[in-house]
Amino acid sequence: MKKSRLIFLALVVLMIISSALALTFGPAEISVGEITQCIVSHCSNPIHEMIIWEVRIPRILVGIVAGMGLAIAGAILQNTTRNPLADPYIFGIVSGAALGATIATITLADQLTVALPLAAFLGALFSVFIVVAIASALKNPEQLLLAGVAVSFMLTAISQFLLYLGEPFATNRVLFWLMGSLARVEMNNFYIIASILLVSFLVVAAYHRQIDALLLGDDSAKSLGVNVSKLRLLMLAICAAITATVVAYCGGIGFVGLMIPHIVRQFIGVTTLPLILGSALVGGSFLVWVDVAARTAIESAEVPLGIITSAIGSIFFIAIMLKTKTK
Amino acid sequence: MSSSTGQQPFLKVVNLSWQVKDKLILEALSFNVHQGEILGIIGPNGAGKTSLLRCLLNHQSDFHGEVYFNNKKMCHYSPKLLAQNFAVVAQKATPIFALSVFDVVRMGLLPHKGLFSVDSEQDRHQIKLALTKVGLILLINSAYHVLSGGEQQRVLIARALVQKAEILILDEPTNHLDVYYQHQILQLVHSLGITVIMTVHDLNLAAQYCQRLLLLNEGKLISDDTPNKVLTSQALTDVFGLYCHRDQDPITQSPRVSFYLNAPHLKQAAQTTQTKMSSIT
Repeated sequence: MKKSRLIFLALVVLMIISSALALTFGPAEISVGEITQCIVSHCSNPIHEMIIWEVRIPRILVGIVAGMGLAIAGAILQNTTRNPLADPYIFGIVSGAALGATIATITLADQLTVALPLAAFLGALFSVFIVVAIASALKNPEQLLLAGVAVSFMLTAISQFLLYLGEPFATNRVLFWLMGSLARVEMNNFYIIASILLVSFLVVAAYHRQIDALLLGDDSAKSLGVNVSKLRLLMLAICAAITATVVAYCGGIGFVGLMIPHIVRQFIGVTTLPLILGSALVGGSFLVWVDVAARTAIESAEVPLGIITSAIGSIFFIAIMLKTKTK
Repeated sequence: MSSSTGQQPFLKVVNLSWQVKDKLILEALSFNVHQGEILGIIGPNGAGKTSLLRCLLNHQSDFHGEVYFNNKKMCHYSPKLLAQNFAVVAQKATPIFALSVFDVVRMGLLPHKGLFSVDSEQDRHQIKLALTKVGLILLINSAYHVLSGGEQQRVLIARALVQKAEILILDEPTNHLDVYYQHQILQLVHSLGITVIMTVHDLNLAAQYCQRLLLLNEGKLISDDTPNKVLTSQALTDVFGLYCHRDQDPITQSPRVSFYLNAPHLKQAAQTTQTKMSSIT
């Protein structure tokens, strides 16, 4: 069997094992035997059945697709902009989502369960709309990133101004949501994120050769018949849809989109299709374990996911810098 | 100012001009390219050599005039169809990510593939064949960015072979290469037997490997003929602003040119050499 197939097989097995093990972690102590019985047939304890089917399984499944989505979005952005530091967050998507969440928290305090994710989604799409509008007027990918950074700062400034004028309760709520969590996710969220991922994956699979052609420069891609600006805008729109959906349900989870493709590139390669598949598998498993850490690190409390991913991500990048320096 | 061959032109450029704001980059250029011909575009920096290539490839669409390929206007070709007919070996491009040699050559399949397509066994065979032809089959799994400039150029030529294009366009293919690789690349291009259009800075290499030359200066076509007729002392002195001495390479019999900054002083030396050579012959 070819080496790459073995790696993919190992990653699939890793994801299955990670999910199975993650089922055993949580405040309620449920034995492995009971978990197996609950999944295969029926639980003897109805409360345990509810915990497994309505809390742990949705949480693990949403964790998998959220991790997959963020990692895929990062991989697509890095390849289409030829920038290893490109990340869905650089394009102002989270700042847009935060602005939406802020407005919802201040104006619709009674219906936040539905309004907050919806407003965050609309806010994220709004930010991408501005970035795309600026990007279509610009030509090179470096300026696309700068446009994203500028939009991000602008939307953050508006959010902070609104929060400054608003109640302290609203500020707390938005800040807590921005740190990211899988505590309130439902099975429904899994279906929505998974559907967006499936469509995105099909589009990327269709255009994988064109994205690969970009890796050697815009002119090189043009000479191979690629419409560079259209392709880049299409991919930006896909990343926006994925990130906006994930952020709407799980809040801000940084560094996954930046870190995972970087790791995967080292052992799978840089071309789009294997990179996307590898990033999806590693990203999914990674977020499942981050969520386990979030649930178990402190007794009787949960650490927000964004804090853990940012901590791991920053250590990871310092390690990479040190490794590069010593070479 | 056109090729002397009687056959139908493969590529025909009629009155091509390109202006950026108030600056005229290319001015009313007209010339033909015939099938199987190696055409060199020469001229000083800023003459419009690379701009001309960009217009030919439709990378610059705001030019005036017409370009015909196989008697059909280039603007009527889709980007994909253009890529099936024109392969480009650009000046040195360093990828950010560690692409392998295989990955780069594989890009040549793109114009012949549809959406969702994956590589077949035939595709892989074609890639290996192209790498064998450029002498790099042993480096198939190596990282592209660690290769020497000459090897990178050969990888891009292998990509062009996989692309199965009718015309190969090279922008300064010998830039950054030492003398050995300069000749190796141009010899390889020569041996492919397809139509080639390339910009060249080294006039002696152009004379040796091109069948026809276009001499450009400030966007204008100064001459279009065989190297023997284009590379005259007078024309080159006028265009490059340096005194040019021209003689013949005793081995290849192609024109050979040398430039001197201080013309009056060296003119004497050049005349002495010429007298010596005529006395020998």
